[in-house]
Amino acid sequence: MIRDAEDAKTAAKMQEMGFPMDGIAEIKKARTELTEHIKPQLLNRYQRVSQNYERIVVPVVKDLCTGCFAKVATSFRYEKNSVVTCESCGRILYFT
Amino acid sequence: MMTSQELASYFRESLCIFDLKAASKREALAEMVDVVCSEHDIKDRGLILEMLLNRESLGSTAIGKGVAFPHGRTLAVRDLSIAFARSVRGVDFDSTDKKPTHAFFLIIAPPQDRDNVYLQVLGRVVDLIKDDASRDRVVGASGYAELKTIIEGQGL
Repeated sequence: MIRDAEDAKTAAKMQEMGFPMDGIAEIKKARTELTEHIKPQLLNRYQRVSQNYERIVVPVVKDLCTGCFAKVATSFRYEKNSVVTCESCGRILYFT
Repeated sequence: MMTSQELASYFRESLCIFDLKAASKREALAEMVDVVCSEHDIKDRGLILEMLLNRESLGSTAIGKGVAFPHGRTLAVRDLSIAFARSVRGVDFDSTDKKPTHAFFLIIAPPQDRDNVYLQVLGRVVDLIKDDASRDRVVGASGYAELKTIIEGQGL
């Protein structure tokens, strides 16, 4: 949401459609509040990956990381309540 | 450019509510999120609702004339999804013209959207509603078949 709001092209398109986009500070505040509930280790991992890629959290489709298209071990999806990262690119993965 | 038929293909009967019960913005969003979650077997209902409420704090998606377009991206959905809702009595949705909102187009999409279909769909729906005659027909639509005919026949 923040990415869309800060992307000049997207924001311009939204405003052209008639959507006011002036509450970005509110959204950033909400994000900051949310980050306080995330384990520092996980937050660091997220921030590290964000330095290299636009999309940090990506879905796994047909056992492939949709960020780099490397094969993801099928055993990963059974690790309940754990955060799984792609062994190839480091992106955080989720399974749909 | 997306055709009217392509746009209409996103509208499913199970994702349309023609008698929205909600009396507030939060209730309206929750009612629509419920049908989306039910249709797609999504468990993270709260996640989607929170995302939509956050989007509303960026700026109201009720851009006047009785219509709102709550929208946003979330990891909770795999594909773009549209829910339509109609409220006969209207809902206070913080509309830019301060009037009650009667028709809602909820559009949610995954963050991964290389062709930016999300923006295309949103743009097409907004275009549809900008036409006074189409908007009146949408707001007055009493069933899915009627709604789909209006969308398919927009000729944009």
